[in-house]
Amino acid sequence: MQIKKQTKGKAYKKAKKLGSKEVIKLLKNKAVVGQGGANFPTGTKWEMVLNEKEPEKYIICNADEGEPGTFKDKFILTNNPDIVIEGLLIGAEVIKAKKAFIYLRGEYEYLLPKIKRSITKVKKQTKSKIPIEIVVGQGAYICGEETAIMESIANRRPQPLQKPPFPTQNGLYGKPTVLNNVGTLANVSLAIHYKDFDPELRLYSLSGNLTTPGIFELKLGIKLGDLIRLGNPEHPIKAVYFGCFGGCMPYNPDMKISPKDICGKDCILGSCTIIAVDEKHSIVDMATNIAKFYEFESCGKCTPCREGTMRILGLLENISMKDASMKDLDTLQELAEVIKETSFCGLGQTATSHLLTALKHFRKEFEERVKEKRNRRRVAR
Amino acid sequence: MQDIILLNELRKVQDKEGYVSEKSARKINKKTGIPLSRIYAAATFYAKIHTEPQGKYVIEVCNSPSCYLNGSLNLIKYLVRKLKIKSGQTTKDKKFSLHISSCIGCCDEAPAMLLNDKPYTKLTKEKIDEILKKCK
Repeated sequence: MQIKKQTKGKAYKKAKKLGSKEVIKLLKNKAVVGQGGANFPTGTKWEMVLNEKEPEKYIICNADEGEPGTFKDKFILTNNPDIVIEGLLIGAEVIKAKKAFIYLRGEYEYLLPKIKRSITKVKKQTKSKIPIEIVVGQGAYICGEETAIMESIANRRPQPLQKPPFPTQNGLYGKPTVLNNVGTLANVSLAIHYKDFDPELRLYSLSGNLTTPGIFELKLGIKLGDLIRLGNPEHPIKAVYFGCFGGCMPYNPDMKISPKDICGKDCILGSCTIIAVDEKHSIVDMATNIAKFYEFESCGKCTPCREGTMRILGLLENISMKDASMKDLDTLQELAEVIKETSFCGLGQTATSHLLTALKHFRKEFEERVKEKRNRRRVAR
Repeated sequence: MQDIILLNELRKVQDKEGYVSEKSARKINKKTGIPLSRIYAAATFYAKIHTEPQGKYVIEVCNSPSCYLNGSLNLIKYLVRKLKIKSGQTTKDKKFSLHISSCIGCCDEAPAMLLNDKPYTKLTKEKIDEILKKCK
């Protein structure tokens, strides 16, 4: 696996020799892009912060992967934390950061000793003097959002802020800040050190109704069927979810997994999370489960998301309990669209993708659940 | 003030006392100068920071899609019956607290839970019995 290769401080030394501008050029040439889901070119992001006149700058490693079904960052931090730390120090050196942060999600607190050991080791290898502070998150999905994570580090309630200004101008403590995903920083080290670095490789987090789920390193654009086969499903797969925020699709083994092939179809590929659902499970129950998640994780800042996710959950629970009418399905659809259109941040705007796609592709299941009630009533009469 | 990370301070207090009480929030306020209102705003936001006393063992069962598809709901029901508490509550003997949590990143070993932040995976009812038996 490419992600398990070591760089042993050599990428940092090479970066230092090349200088900021050359490193940025190299990252652009080698097509290093964000692994958190946005695929934003890393070199461009670093360049934006480097060009800011403000002398005080920060870099943050986003190790707060909260998207259900995603565990690639855990995999990297468990198996090869050194290249992440090295990438963070390279970033700090390139943008001339005052301090570097690692925002580790609270659910991964058990990785803390390993990360601390890795910091000591890589600092020795690189002789970098830039301080690294670890902040342990305490269970908030919203902290995956870039402004929320910065609010959290700045000791405020982590609610997202208006963009623009973007964090590259006005980030942590109001200073220009780079925020990179664990996978991105790992790729930075690899791209600088290895000539044969492949930017097309992704870590797929595969889980759900499978007998051998796990992390698989494969190229973008592979066929969905080939990936699912690696997971050895016991029963035929009916649908795939791209995490909670990415929406769902009927299972099509020939579909290619790439942003180009997926994002145009109401879904978002994100950070290559695939949750497979087999025929034994109901999409209505999946929708209710995911709605519960969003209702719990909505930060409460804006009304459509705060109130809307609660209403969606209520409606879905009624449908699940077979206590709804066909009209409720239309209300559900309308409400989901309003939340998508009017929410403040990415969380709210994607909080109903799972439902809109489920209603589009699996409306029959919802209708059947509603009809079951009617039949039950008839029997009662 | 930029050198103080409130989250780490809250966590330190919680590790020592089990939860963040008003008294300890006031202490943080004295130590750091962060307004009490802001400390409370942060403390009440995060799922893993508690402002109520917790049991000796805090159980967080994952109920996100991957765990759900692998039967987490049955395990939650089992735990609720076994411990005689609902999610968010603590047993009378102050031994266990139960929380249903969002994804804990153990999706490839579902269903899973954290017990005092240590992950336990591929859970079954029998396995839960075994784990809880070891909690003295």
